[in-house]
Amino acid sequence: MSLFRIHAPILDDIRSDGLMPTLIAKTDEVVTRLTAGLNVEEIRSVLRGDPPKRPNPRVKPHADGFWMHMRPTYFHEKVMTLYPTFRLGWLSVYFLVFETITGLVLMLWYTPSPLTAFEDMQNIMSNVPLGLMMRDLHRLGAEFMVMVVLLHMLRTFITGSYKKPRQFTWFTGGVLLLLTLFLSFSGYLLPWDQLSLWAVTIGASMAEATPVIGREVNLLVRGGPDFGANGLLRFYLLHVFALPLIAFIFLGVHYYKVIIHGHSLPPKEEEIGVDTARKVPMEKRSYFLPDVLTKEIYWVVIWTALLILMVTVGNWHAPLEPHADSQVTPLHTTAPWYFLWLQGMLKLGDKVFWGVVAPGILVNFVFVLPYLEVGPSRRYIHRRVGLSVCAISIIVFSWLTYMGTPYHAVSSSPDQEVVAALVPQTHPGPVRTASYDELVPGEYSSDKWNSAPTDNLREIMETFDHEINKYGNELPGAVGIMNIVDWQVGLKKVTLSVVWNNGEDTFTQNVYVHEDSKHGH
Amino acid sequence: MTWRTVVGTLATFVTTIVVAFWLINEPARMKEAEDGFAGRSMEAGAAIYENNCTRCHGPAGGGLVGLAPAINNPALFDGSRLAEVGWAGSLHDFVYSTISGGRPLASSGTTWPQRMPTWSTEYGGPLRHDQVRDVTAFVLNWGRAYEEGITALQNPETATTSMEPIDAVGIDINTPELPPGNPDDGEALTVSLGCTACHIQTEVGPAWLAENHPDGTGIGTRSGERIDAADYTGAATTAEQYLRESIVRTNDYVVEGYEPGIMVATYGETLTAQNLSDIISYLITLK
Ligand code: HEC
Ligand code: HEC
Ligand code: HEM
Repeated sequence: MSLFRIHAPILDDIRSDGLMPTLIAKTDEVVTRLTAGLNVEEIRSVLRGDPPKRPNPRVKPHADGFWMHMRPTYFHEKVMTLYPTFRLGWLSVYFLVFETITGLVLMLWYTPSPLTAFEDMQNIMSNVPLGLMMRDLHRLGAEFMVMVVLLHMLRTFITGSYKKPRQFTWFTGGVLLLLTLFLSFSGYLLPWDQLSLWAVTIGASMAEATPVIGREVNLLVRGGPDFGANGLLRFYLLHVFALPLIAFIFLGVHYYKVIIHGHSLPPKEEEIGVDTARKVPMEKRSYFLPDVLTKEIYWVVIWTALLILMVTVGNWHAPLEPHADSQVTPLHTTAPWYFLWLQGMLKLGDKVFWGVVAPGILVNFVFVLPYLEVGPSRRYIHRRVGLSVCAISIIVFSWLTYMGTPYHAVSSSPDQEVVAALVPQTHPGPVRTASYDELVPGEYSSDKWNSAPTDNLREIMETFDHEINKYGNELPGAVGIMNIVDWQVGLKKVTLSVVWNNGEDTFTQNVYVHEDSKHGH
Repeated sequence: MTWRTVVGTLATFVTTIVVAFWLINEPARMKEAEDGFAGRSMEAGAAIYENNCTRCHGPAGGGLVGLAPAINNPALFDGSRLAEVGWAGSLHDFVYSTISGGRPLASSGTTWPQRMPTWSTEYGGPLRHDQVRDVTAFVLNWGRAYEEGITALQNPETATTSMEPIDAVGIDINTPELPPGNPDDGEALTVSLGCTACHIQTEVGPAWLAENHPDGTGIGTRSGERIDAADYTGAATTAEQYLRESIVRTNDYVVEGYEPGIMVATYGETLTAQNLSDIISYLITLK
């Protein structure tokens, strides 16, 4: 008698039914277990697009499976079309997941310390296969996500989907909006270049305006009077840990509420004040398997392809400016675009009111909106006031955003502005991106731009001339001089001067250009 | 559903091909990006050099007499300098660590009156480590000229350090007669020759500007008073002549409180009559 016996029932099955039939049966069993209820035959019929049997076996995974239980068994066919959702909520989830995946890849190569962060970025871009692509995808995805979430909010407002019973869905959405903005904002600092340091500094300086505890809030956010090792570590931990965690939790709550109440139907489909989203007649049902799933797979493919094509053939690249320097504030720094409206408001006056009180009221207003605006009808015709206020807000926000840009109310002097147009401090600009060979050593004058020897030089000098003429009276008799000398092998020194008032006033700035530097690539 | 299948499959196909091509090209792209960042590092380094190092090592690394050695010098790149100081590591490390930590002690055989300061914040200096890295990249790029056998660039600002023989003014304080001077050119010369490093930025030599001098007088005023002073040992009879003497025969009269031999004694051999006149005409304005 052996010490122990292995009992493998499969051997008995093979003995009684033969090898192939047993393997087929076992495979079927494994597949059914993995899909929580669908056997091979059923999956094939789903893929073929056959109508389901009765009772529908395709609802079983929704009841038994973990992943599928998060998704409804069927949707109303009226919410399956592009209108009313424009798939914006779905797309927000797509980007949240997309950012998580690309972000995890980047994390492998990044250390959150001012000593290494910037070099790590350069390393990712120049030494990690597909590293540049991952970084570009992550950055592009982040920009898209902010836009998509904003548009999603706009659409749920326009279709009146925040109204009873979906007030709390909207509320949790508001939390998700803040999380999205802060996720993007916290990520902005991580490359530790001039752009990121100063954009975030401007954003964070609003915290400083908080009445009474401004100083404490500021210290808490930055980990010191200025951004340094502590601030970077804090932003990093927020970005890769705290905010995503909270975002996924709130996504759970948000989507749970969406399912509980059903996707709201297009307003005209319902009686005023009645919500029939949950009562979907048999013939209007569009089942998750296969209709919704295949569509979602399709959209995943399309969006992923689009993003990849944009950062490859489309040549879209995330910027990387020079290393962060807390001593040198670049001319024209701005907050990230989705906070420009705040920067614009700050130009209106009092820092405390426009930087803290007004935005505070606004944000809180978003949260309580569904509890204040309780008109029963979701139809557009009955919501003229609400929709007009929405339209006006969009215009006001666009205007404030414009005001936040350096185009509005610039404070520096015209001579500096002129030079900054040629060698900007927040992006490469025409001199640095010019072809190295075309920067022929010599001295060129803006009034004689046409006689410069190369195309690039003519373009640069024409811009110089154009910029100077913009400030006619402020720079009387001004002329721009560009002087190029060979400085080292492969390195040229470019001196830009603006001379005005018959040569009494001058402003001069030097930049160096290396033949390999590939600015703007 | 079928058109979605077609479009979706097509999109997957196209994307796969694009990514495959991207991957094939990845090593070349990474090399280019690496060179690009190296180039940007030199660009940043050149600006850091201009702001911090020019006053001792000269605008083009040629060194300044009496202040600091040339660092664009073939000896640095052909290994002889490393052998001289017995450095076993790489040239990059030699330069990087010299800049980071400075030279608190003179290296063997040299007697520069000032020390090479410490630069890295790690050792209490003003530059972040990435800035030290950038300026190191810039300094090492002079090695390219050495490797490629290029002796001089067409750079007007390096003219002062070129090897061409000049028509020097000599050390006599009366002859030759000096041509009329231009104070603006003189001012520029005092910067590029490094005089300002001892006389304006620091107090290694007597302060030129009235606001820096204990008496509250500038060099232009003092030079006229000096010749009448009881302890004056020189031969000058006018303020201009005193300045000329101080520059080309610096040890004939040593200002009280200073050691002889600190100020470079060879300016008579490196300045032209025009240079000297320009400098004097500038100094005389510093009342
Ligand atoms: C106050 C004058 C001064 C300044 C400013 C200065 N140096 Fe120096 N440097 C010196 C002196 C003096 C030496 C020679 C020290 C010795 O060998 O004893 C030196 C030596 C060096 C050396 C080593 C040369 C060799 O062959 O040993 C390098 C490299 C160097 N400096 C780079 C720099 C750079 C880069 C900067 C700007 C960040 C700079 N220096 C700024 C005075 C200066
Ligand atoms: C290495 C430091 C150093 C440099 C570089 C230097 N000097 Fe001097 N200079 C001194 C010192 C020390 C004295 C005072 C001792 C003496 O009189 O010889 C002095 C004295 C002078 C005086 C007399 C000052 C007075 O108050 O009477 C003049 C004039 C002068 N230098 C001009 C120059 C000019 C011009 C240059 C550049 C071409 C120059 N120096 C470069 C260190 C320097
Ligand atoms: C990360 C951010 C967000 C994610 C991932 C997300 C996700 C979703 C999803 C998947 C849906 C269902 C599909 C759809 O209606 O498009 C949905 C519905 C909804 N969302 Fe969001 N959402 C986010 C932000 C917001 C914001 C900022 C708001 C508004 C303040 C909001 C309000 C709503 C409302 C009211 C619904 C119900 C719509 C209806 O039933 O028709 N959501 N959300």
